[in-house]
Amino acid sequence: MSRYLSITAVALVLGVMVVQQFRITGYQSAHGTPADRAQELTVELKQLEKERADLAAEVEDLERKLAQARMGYSQAAEALRTEITKLRLLAGLEPVRGKGVEVVVVPRQGTGVFTVRDEDLLRIVNELRGAGAEALAINGQRLIATSEIRTSGAHITVNLIPVAAPYRILAIGNPEYMKNTLEMRGGVVETLREWGIDIAVFTREDLTIPGYQGKTSFEYARTS
Amino acid sequence: MRLGISLAILGLVAGAFIGLRVPLVLPAAYAKYLSVAILAALDSVFGGIRAAMEDHFDNTIFLTGFFSNAILAGTLAFIGERLGVELYTAAVVAFGVRIFQNLAIIRRHLLKK
Repeated sequence: MSRYLSITAVALVLGVMVVQQFRITGYQSAHGTPADRAQELTVELKQLEKERADLAAEVEDLERKLAQARMGYSQAAEALRTEITKLRLLAGLEPVRGKGVEVVVVPRQGTGVFTVRDEDLLRIVNELRGAGAEALAINGQRLIATSEIRTSGAHITVNLIPVAAPYRILAIGNPEYMKNTLEMRGGVVETLREWGIDIAVFTREDLTIPGYQGKTSFEYARTS
Repeated sequence: MRLGISLAILGLVAGAFIGLRVPLVLPAAYAKYLSVAILAALDSVFGGIRAAMEDHFDNTIFLTGFFSNAILAGTLAFIGERLGVELYTAAVVAFGVRIFQNLAIIRRHLLKK
Protein backbone atom coordinates (compact mmCIF):
# COMPACT_ATOMS: atom_id res chain seq x y z
CA MET A 1 0.00 0.00 0.00
CA SER A 2 2.77 2.39 0.95
CA ARG A 3 4.34 1.53 -2.38
CA TYR A 4 1.39 2.98 -4.28
CA LEU A 5 1.37 6.00 -2.03
CA SER A 6 5.03 6.70 -2.77
CA ILE A 7 4.48 6.19 -6.50
CA THR A 8 1.62 8.66 -6.43
CA ALA A 9 3.66 11.15 -4.41
CA VAL A 10 6.62 10.83 -6.75
CA ALA A 11 4.41 11.20 -9.81
CA LEU A 12 2.76 14.24 -8.26
CA VAL A 13 6.08 15.95 -7.52
CA LEU A 14 7.43 15.06 -10.95
CA GLY A 15 4.33 16.47 -12.57
CA VAL A 16 4.66 19.75 -10.68
CA MET A 17 8.33 20.03 -11.57
CA VAL A 18 7.85 19.26 -15.24
CA VAL A 19 4.99 21.71 -15.60
CA GLN A 20 6.95 24.39 -13.77
CA GLN A 21 9.86 23.84 -16.11
CA PHE A 22 7.53 24.06 -19.13
CA ARG A 23 6.08 27.25 -17.80
CA ILE A 24 9.52 28.76 -17.26
CA THR A 25 10.77 27.85 -20.72
CA GLY A 26 7.47 28.93 -22.26
CA TYR A 27 7.70 32.22 -20.45
CA GLN A 28 11.27 32.65 -21.66
CA SER A 29 10.47 31.93 -25.31
CA ALA A 30 7.44 34.22 -25.10
CA HIS A 31 9.47 37.05 -23.63
CA GLY A 32 12.72 36.34 -25.41
CA THR A 33 14.97 35.85 -22.40
CA PRO A 34 17.14 32.80 -22.91
CA ALA A 35 18.73 31.05 -19.93
CA ASP A 36 22.23 32.29 -20.69
CA ARG A 37 21.04 35.86 -20.96
CA ALA A 38 23.08 36.73 -17.88
CA GLN A 39 26.27 35.60 -19.57
CA GLU A 40 25.49 37.53 -22.74
CA LEU A 41 24.75 40.60 -20.69
CA THR A 42 27.98 40.16 -18.76
CA VAL A 43 29.97 40.02 -21.98
CA GLU A 44 28.11 43.02 -23.33
CA LEU A 45 28.68 44.86 -20.07
CA LYS A 46 32.38 44.15 -20.25
CA GLN A 47 32.52 45.38 -23.84
CA LEU A 48 30.59 48.51 -22.98
CA GLU A 49 32.77 49.17 -19.98
CA LYS A 50 35.85 48.90 -22.16
CA GLU A 51 34.26 51.21 -24.71
CA ARG A 52 33.37 53.63 -21.94
CA ALA A 53 36.95 53.61 -20.67
CA ASP A 54 38.18 54.28 -24.20
CA LEU A 55 35.75 57.14 -24.61
CA ALA A 56 36.72 58.56 -21.23
CA ALA A 57 40.35 58.50 -22.32
CA GLU A 58 39.35 60.24 -25.55
CA VAL A 59 37.45 62.87 -23.60
CA GLU A 60 40.48 63.47 -21.44
CA ASP A 61 42.71 63.77 -24.49
CA LEU A 62 40.38 66.20 -26.21
CA GLU A 63 39.99 68.25 -23.07
CA ARG A 64 43.74 68.51 -22.78
CA LYS A 65 43.95 69.59 -26.42
CA LEU A 66 41.20 72.12 -25.84
CA ALA A 67 43.00 73.50 -22.82
CA GLN A 68 46.17 73.77 -24.88
CA ALA A 69 44.30 75.54 -27.65
CA ARG A 70 42.75 77.90 -25.11
CA MET A 71 46.14 78.59 -23.62
CA GLY A 72 47.54 79.25 -27.11
CA TYR A 73 44.59 81.53 -27.81
CA SER A 74 45.14 83.57 -24.65
CA GLN A 75 48.85 83.76 -25.41
CA ALA A 76 48.11 84.98 -28.92
CA ALA A 77 45.63 87.51 -27.56
CA GLU A 78 48.24 88.67 -25.08
CA ALA A 79 50.81 89.05 -27.86
CA LEU A 80 48.32 90.99 -29.98
CA ARG A 81 47.49 93.27 -27.07
CA THR A 82 51.16 93.97 -26.48
CA GLU A 83 51.61 94.65 -30.18
CA ILE A 84 48.60 96.98 -30.23
CA THR A 85 49.91 98.91 -27.24
CA LYS A 86 53.30 99.21 -28.89
CA LEU A 87 51.81 100.41 -32.16
CA ARG A 88 49.53 102.90 -30.41
CA LEU A 89 52.56 104.23 -28.61
CA LEU A 90 54.41 104.56 -31.93
CA ALA A 91 51.41 106.20 -33.59
CA GLY A 92 51.15 108.75 -30.81
CA LEU A 93 47.69 107.72 -29.64
CA GLU A 94 48.81 107.06 -26.08
CA PRO A 95 49.83 109.70 -23.55
CA VAL A 96 53.52 109.34 -22.70
CA ARG A 97 55.82 110.68 -20.01
CA GLY A 98 59.54 111.03 -19.56
CA LYS A 99 62.26 113.63 -19.40
CA GLY A 100 62.68 116.18 -22.16
CA VAL A 101 62.56 119.88 -22.91
CA GLU A 102 59.93 122.58 -22.86
CA VAL A 103 60.30 125.34 -25.42
CA VAL A 104 58.31 128.51 -24.80
CA VAL A 105 57.93 130.86 -27.76
CA VAL A 106 56.43 134.32 -27.19
CA PRO A 107 56.25 137.13 -29.77
CA ARG A 108 57.48 140.40 -28.33
CA GLN A 109 54.59 142.74 -27.57
CA GLY A 110 53.94 145.82 -29.65
CA THR A 111 55.93 144.75 -32.65
CA GLY A 112 53.32 143.59 -35.12
CA VAL A 113 55.87 142.68 -37.75
CA PHE A 114 57.77 140.13 -35.70
CA THR A 115 55.02 137.71 -34.96
CA VAL A 116 55.58 133.96 -34.69
CA ARG A 117 54.88 132.24 -37.99
CA ASP A 118 54.08 128.61 -38.71
CA GLU A 119 57.51 128.21 -40.30
CA ASP A 120 59.23 129.19 -37.04
CA LEU A 121 57.39 126.49 -35.15
CA LEU A 122 58.10 124.03 -37.96
CA ARG A 123 61.79 124.79 -37.73
CA ILE A 124 61.80 124.24 -33.98
CA VAL A 125 59.90 120.99 -34.35
CA ASN A 126 62.21 119.89 -37.14
CA GLU A 127 65.28 120.61 -35.02
CA LEU A 128 63.80 118.71 -32.10
CA ARG A 129 63.04 115.76 -34.33
CA GLY A 130 66.53 115.91 -35.65
CA ALA A 131 67.77 115.79 -32.06
CA GLY A 132 65.90 112.59 -31.46
CA ALA A 133 62.62 113.72 -29.88
CA GLU A 134 60.34 110.75 -29.38
CA ALA A 135 57.11 112.58 -28.65
CA LEU A 136 56.14 116.16 -29.45
CA ALA A 137 53.23 118.42 -28.62
CA ILE A 138 52.41 122.05 -29.26
CA ASN A 139 50.05 123.61 -26.73
CA GLY A 140 48.68 120.19 -25.83
CA GLN A 141 48.30 119.05 -29.47
CA ARG A 142 50.26 115.87 -30.01
CA LEU A 143 52.26 115.81 -33.22
CA ILE A 144 51.73 112.58 -35.14
CA ALA A 145 52.55 111.47 -38.67
CA THR A 146 49.65 113.38 -40.23
CA SER A 147 49.90 116.50 -38.06
CA GLU A 148 50.23 119.83 -39.82
CA ILE A 149 51.48 123.20 -38.59
CA ARG A 150 50.19 125.96 -40.81
CA THR A 151 48.85 129.46 -40.70
CA SER A 152 45.15 129.64 -41.11
CA GLY A 153 44.02 133.25 -41.07
CA ALA A 154 45.18 134.92 -37.84
CA HIS A 155 46.01 131.61 -36.13
CA ILE A 156 48.38 128.77 -36.43
CA THR A 157 46.58 125.40 -36.49
CA VAL A 158 47.99 122.12 -35.29
CA ASN A 159 45.92 118.99 -35.96
CA LEU A 160 43.32 121.42 -37.40
CA ILE A 161 43.02 123.00 -33.92
CA PRO A 162 43.99 126.67 -33.64
CA VAL A 163 46.76 127.37 -31.15
CA ALA A 164 47.70 130.82 -29.88
CA ALA A 165 50.71 132.46 -28.30
CA PRO A 166 52.45 131.75 -26.03
CA TYR A 167 53.48 128.53 -27.76
CA ARG A 168 54.63 125.73 -25.47
CA ILE A 169 56.41 122.98 -27.32
CA LEU A 170 56.99 119.83 -25.28
CA ALA A 171 59.43 117.20 -26.45
CA ILE A 172 60.43 113.93 -24.80
CA GLY A 173 63.92 112.77 -25.58
CA ASN A 174 67.49 113.47 -24.47
CA PRO A 175 67.09 116.94 -22.79
CA GLU A 176 70.71 118.06 -23.07
CA TYR A 177 71.01 117.03 -26.68
CA MET A 178 67.79 118.75 -27.72
CA LYS A 179 68.58 121.90 -25.76
CA ASN A 180 72.06 122.10 -27.30
CA THR A 181 70.72 121.53 -30.77
CA LEU A 182 68.24 124.37 -30.42
CA GLU A 183 70.68 126.79 -28.80
CA MET A 184 73.74 126.17 -30.90
CA ARG A 185 75.45 129.15 -32.51
CA GLY A 186 73.54 130.24 -35.57
CA GLY A 187 70.77 127.84 -34.61
CA VAL A 188 67.05 128.35 -34.53
CA VAL A 189 66.89 130.01 -31.13
CA GLU A 190 69.47 132.59 -32.03
CA THR A 191 67.78 133.31 -35.37
CA LEU A 192 64.37 133.76 -33.80
CA ARG A 193 65.74 136.02 -31.11
CA GLU A 194 67.22 138.18 -33.83
CA TRP A 195 63.78 138.41 -35.36
CA GLY A 196 62.42 139.74 -32.10
CA ILE A 197 60.81 136.63 -30.70
CA ASP A 198 61.29 135.63 -27.07
CA ILE A 199 62.21 131.96 -26.88
CA ALA A 200 63.31 129.99 -23.86
CA VAL A 201 64.35 126.32 -23.59
CA PHE A 202 63.94 124.51 -20.26
CA THR A 203 64.99 120.98 -19.52
CA ARG A 204 62.35 119.03 -17.62
CA GLU A 205 62.81 115.86 -15.58
CA ASP A 206 59.23 114.68 -15.92
CA LEU A 207 56.99 115.67 -18.82
CA THR A 208 53.62 114.27 -19.74
CA ILE A 209 52.53 114.53 -23.35
CA PRO A 210 48.88 113.76 -24.17
CA GLY A 211 47.86 111.35 -26.88
CA TYR A 212 46.39 112.33 -30.22
CA GLN A 213 42.66 113.01 -29.84
CA GLY A 214 41.50 113.45 -33.46
CA LYS A 215 40.13 110.93 -35.90
CA THR A 216 42.32 107.98 -36.71
CA SER A 217 40.62 106.40 -39.70
CA PHE A 218 41.69 106.79 -43.32
CA GLU A 219 39.16 107.65 -45.95
CA TYR A 220 41.24 107.04 -49.06
CA ALA A 221 44.28 105.02 -48.15
CA ARG A 222 43.92 101.25 -48.22
CA THR A 223 46.34 98.49 -47.45
CA SER A 224 48.06 97.40 -50.65
CA MET B 1 0.89 -3.37 -11.54
CA ARG B 2 -2.12 -1.91 -13.31
CA LEU B 3 -3.05 0.00 -10.18
CA GLY B 4 0.50 1.31 -9.89
CA ILE B 5 0.54 2.60 -13.47
CA SER B 6 -2.87 4.20 -13.20
CA LEU B 7 -1.91 5.80 -9.88
CA ALA B 8 1.29 7.12 -11.43
CA ILE B 9 -0.61 8.63 -14.36
CA LEU B 10 -3.17 10.08 -11.98
CA GLY B 11 -0.40 11.57 -9.86
CA LEU B 12 1.28 13.08 -12.94
CA VAL B 13 -1.97 14.64 -14.11
CA ALA B 14 -2.75 15.97 -10.65
CA GLY B 15 0.81 17.36 -10.35
CA ALA B 16 0.55 19.00 -13.78
CA PHE B 17 -2.77 20.50 -12.75
CA ILE B 18 -1.31 21.84 -9.50
CA GLY B 19 1.76 23.16 -11.32
CA LEU B 20 -0.44 25.00 -13.80
CA ARG B 21 -2.68 26.37 -11.06
CA VAL B 22 0.15 27.69 -8.91
CA PRO B 23 0.26 31.44 -9.64
CA LEU B 24 4.02 31.63 -9.09
CA VAL B 25 6.49 30.80 -11.84
CA LEU B 26 10.05 30.17 -10.75
CA PRO B 27 12.53 32.82 -11.93
CA ALA B 28 14.28 32.00 -15.18
CA ALA B 29 17.61 31.78 -13.34
CA TYR B 30 16.42 28.58 -11.65
CA ALA B 31 15.36 26.89 -14.89
CA LYS B 32 18.76 25.26 -15.22
CA TYR B 33 18.69 23.70 -11.77
CA LEU B 34 15.10 22.59 -12.14
CA SER B 35 15.85 20.92 -15.46
CA VAL B 36 18.68 18.92 -13.92
CA ALA B 37 16.46 18.04 -10.97
CA ILE B 38 13.80 16.80 -13.40
CA LEU B 39 16.37 14.67 -15.18
CA ALA B 40 17.45 13.17 -11.86
CA ALA B 41 13.84 12.52 -10.89
CA LEU B 42 13.12 10.87 -14.23
CA ASP B 43 16.19 8.73 -13.71
CA SER B 44 14.89 7.69 -10.33
CA VAL B 45 11.47 6.90 -11.77
CA PHE B 46 12.89 4.73 -14.52
CA GLY B 47 15.18 3.11 -11.98
CA GLY B 48 12.12 2.36 -9.87
CA ILE B 49 10.26 0.85 -12.80
CA ARG B 50 13.26 -1.28 -13.66
CA ALA B 51 13.55 -2.42 -10.04
CA ALA B 52 9.87 -3.29 -9.99
CA MET B 53 10.33 -5.38 -13.09
CA GLU B 54 13.32 -7.13 -11.56
CA ASP B 55 11.25 -7.70 -8.40
CA HIS B 56 13.57 -6.00 -5.97
CA PHE B 57 11.69 -2.72 -5.64
CA ASP B 58 12.35 -1.10 -2.26
CA ASN B 59 9.95 1.64 -1.34
CA THR B 60 12.38 3.54 0.93
CA ILE B 61 15.24 3.44 -1.56
CA PHE B 62 12.88 4.61 -4.29
CA LEU B 63 11.51 7.56 -2.30
CA THR B 64 14.83 8.71 -0.84
CA GLY B 65 16.58 8.17 -4.19
CA PHE B 66 13.98 10.27 -5.99
CA PHE B 67 14.17 13.28 -3.69
CA SER B 68 17.87 13.13 -2.86
CA ASN B 69 18.79 12.73 -6.55
CA ALA B 70 16.62 15.66 -7.57
CA ILE B 71 17.85 17.94 -4.79
CA LEU B 72 21.47 16.88 -5.20
CA ALA B 73 21.41 17.39 -8.95
CA GLY B 74 19.97 20.88 -8.56
CA THR B 75 22.48 21.75 -5.82
CA LEU B 76 25.33 20.38 -7.89
CA ALA B 77 24.34 22.48 -10.88
CA PHE B 78 24.11 25.51 -8.58
CA ILE B 79 27.55 24.86 -7.07
CA GLY B 80 28.99 24.30 -10.52
CA GLU B 81 27.63 27.67 -11.59
CA ARG B 82 29.27 29.33 -8.59
CA LEU B 83 32.56 27.54 -9.19
CA GLY B 84 32.56 28.38 -12.86
CA VAL B 85 32.61 24.69 -13.82
CA GLU B 86 29.80 23.42 -16.02
CA LEU B 87 28.68 20.68 -13.61
CA TYR B 88 25.27 21.16 -15.15
CA THR B 89 26.47 19.47 -18.32
CA ALA B 90 28.04 16.65 -16.32
CA ALA B 91 24.73 16.01 -14.55
CA VAL B 92 22.83 16.07 -17.85
CA VAL B 93 25.23 13.57 -19.43
CA ALA B 94 25.32 11.26 -16.39
CA PHE B 95 21.55 11.18 -15.89
CA GLY B 96 20.91 10.95 -19.63
CA VAL B 97 23.14 7.89 -19.92
CA ARG B 98 21.49 6.26 -16.92
CA ILE B 99 17.99 6.99 -18.20
CA PHE B 100 18.81 5.38 -21.53
CA GLN B 101 20.37 2.37 -19.80
CA ASN B 102 17.31 1.93 -17.59
CA LEU B 103 15.03 2.34 -20.60
CA ALA B 104 16.96 -0.33 -22.49
CA ILE B 105 16.68 -2.77 -19.58
CA ILE B 106 12.96 -2.04 -19.18
CA ARG B 107 12.49 -2.64 -22.91
CA ARG B 108 14.23 -5.98 -22.66
CA HIS B 109 12.08 -7.00 -19.70
CA LEU B 110 8.96 -6.03 -21.60
CA LEU B 111 10.10 -7.96 -24.66
CA LYS B 112 10.99 -11.08 -22.62
CA LYS B 113 7.44 -11.43 -21.38
